[in-house]
Amino acid sequence: MDTGSHLPKTGMIGELSETRYWIYLLLLPSLVIILLVIAYPTIYGMAISFREMRLTRPGLNGWVGFKHYLVMIDDPVFWVALKNTVLWVTFAVVLELGLGFIAATALNRNVPGTGIFAVLILVPYFLPNVVAGHMWALLLDPRLGVINDILVRIGILNSYKAWFADPNTALAATIFVEAWHGFPFFALLLLAGLKGIPQDLYKAAAVDGAGPIAEFRLITVPMLKSVIAAAVILRVISLVNSPDLLLILTGGGPGDATQVLSLYAFQTAYKDFNFGYASALSVVMFVILMVFAYAYIRLSKIGRE
Amino acid sequence: MATLSLQNVQKSYGGLQVLHGIDVELEDGGFLVLLGPSGCGKSTLLNLIAGLDDISAGDIRIDGRSVVELAPKDRNIAMVFQSYALYPTMTVERNIGFGLEMRGINGIERSAAVKKAADLLQISHLLDRRPANLSGGQRQRVAMGRAIVRNPDLFLFDEPLSNLDAKLRAEMRTEIKRLHGRLGTSVVYVTHDQIEAMTLGTKVAVMKGGYIQQFADPQTIYEKPANMFVAGFIGSPPMNFVTGTLTSDGRLARFEAPGVRVEAPMSSGEIFRAKAAVLGIRPEELKIADVTGSMLTGTIDVIEPTGPDTIVTVRVGDQAVVARLPSRFSSKAGDGVYLRAELAGLSLFDAVTEMRIQL
Repeated sequence: MDTGSHLPKTGMIGELSETRYWIYLLLLPSLVIILLVIAYPTIYGMAISFREMRLTRPGLNGWVGFKHYLVMIDDPVFWVALKNTVLWVTFAVVLELGLGFIAATALNRNVPGTGIFAVLILVPYFLPNVVAGHMWALLLDPRLGVINDILVRIGILNSYKAWFADPNTALAATIFVEAWHGFPFFALLLLAGLKGIPQDLYKAAAVDGAGPIAEFRLITVPMLKSVIAAAVILRVISLVNSPDLLLILTGGGPGDATQVLSLYAFQTAYKDFNFGYASALSVVMFVILMVFAYAYIRLSKIGRE
Repeated sequence: MATLSLQNVQKSYGGLQVLHGIDVELEDGGFLVLLGPSGCGKSTLLNLIAGLDDISAGDIRIDGRSVVELAPKDRNIAMVFQSYALYPTMTVERNIGFGLEMRGINGIERSAAVKKAADLLQISHLLDRRPANLSGGQRQRVAMGRAIVRNPDLFLFDEPLSNLDAKLRAEMRTEIKRLHGRLGTSVVYVTHDQIEAMTLGTKVAVMKGGYIQQFADPQTIYEKPANMFVAGFIGSPPMNFVTGTLTSDGRLARFEAPGVRVEAPMSSGEIFRAKAAVLGIRPEELKIADVTGSMLTGTIDVIEPTGPDTIVTVRVGDQAVVARLPSRFSSKAGDGVYLRAELAGLSLFDAVTEMRIQL
């Protein structure tokens, strides 16, 4: 186009905005921030996973190659944490997806008054992890907890139970709290997805004689596939990476019954001040998440549509 | 094949009544077009016939049998949607056969029926594809295939051509007419396109505000519109409305406005004394006349040649009248002109009620 030469001169910025360099200039500020707060720490973190870096033993600091990764293979806590991470994330996501789907389906009915429920259902998600964690720690408290009281009164329990202190129930109890906290995330995304399904499809199915199960299987699920895939990936990443809820509820205990990778890495860094090993744990988490996301996208075939 | 009878059909949502006592009869093998602007209730009426929505009062009978208590799948109807509503995860073949599948028809019988429908619609080569890999016109054909494969009593079409471009729309219109002639199944067809209504319908119900304005065959609707809404909705360019006064002595009626004078014999014997009235003249009815035979006298305002004919806007008194005249038209803007029309091609309306006046 030669229109530029006919326009009145608007100074240097005006001329610059006509060139492709303008795009790079506009991208520069965010690029600088990303490099500073994401790229640099990530690369630095990867780098120190090959170094010894203990604040308690400064004399040992230096390059150690794959030492941390080799130690990890023989570290029983790592394997327990890995197993717990898989259990914690899998059960939490499945529960949240299920509860979210039920909530979204109900809210999608547009019955008068559901607007209030929509807000109420979102409340758990609005609570910070720390607040939600403390709240449930109190609710499930072995001496003061109202839930123990209710369960005893209606006869389900004989006596008050220390949910987070029993290795048999601790992980399940934390999964329950996480599911309560996270299901609105799925409800919100699935509701948006449901609103986007053309009603004509359901009408056509009604005329064709498809029952509710066939409608669900052949219309609702396929039409929500991309939304479900995106929501699951986002949620898995966030669950694998966030130690905060477990830190407050159990601190990884009793023993290592609720120890997960993110919490183990956090405690290794900020309790033991062993940053080298903590970085190696983080790098392993990073790789696991990358592999998961890649496999999941391939399996759910969302890339093709 | 079946008859369709709508008797005093009403529909309300809460306090809002959207259909006010609709009465329509469709003969066996007939083609009923529900025509009207957005929000007139035509799609709601179609949904009630399909059973996708519950009727508030009245009765719907297909082949003499009341269907209001029946689920959509038990009414033996098939529906084609504006959005096509094809199942995105299924192949074309399964989409077409899905209704049969749900009715427990076995695979061999089903493939035969699907193949027959696909041949009829010339989409046999697409059977393995998914809807996402089809063009708009192809999707439309698949949607129609899904309807005809079931061999229903009644086809319901909900603005099936609205998402197609003009050329494809004309093609598919012809195709629908051909299919209807071949299958002979009764059809209810919702549209806001008056050309579709005129070309396809054996009966047209013009709707507005939840009422049927006129229910008749297309020719009657075109030539003798029941009111000014119907008159203005059908035809392009639309019918001219000239306001003036109507006077009659019981045998001869005279309509007058500045630049307009029309006299017509009447059979009703009614007496009008300078009644406020509207004369409706279709642009294609107007012809160039000489002074003696003229009905309208005016000045040419704009001349728009379209190729086959010329659209001429004429100022008559303080009103504008559009005439569709032959393309060999020699006058120019500013020239005086005399126009006339056959009496049979004129309509008269009451200026207050907007209803047709029968002379």
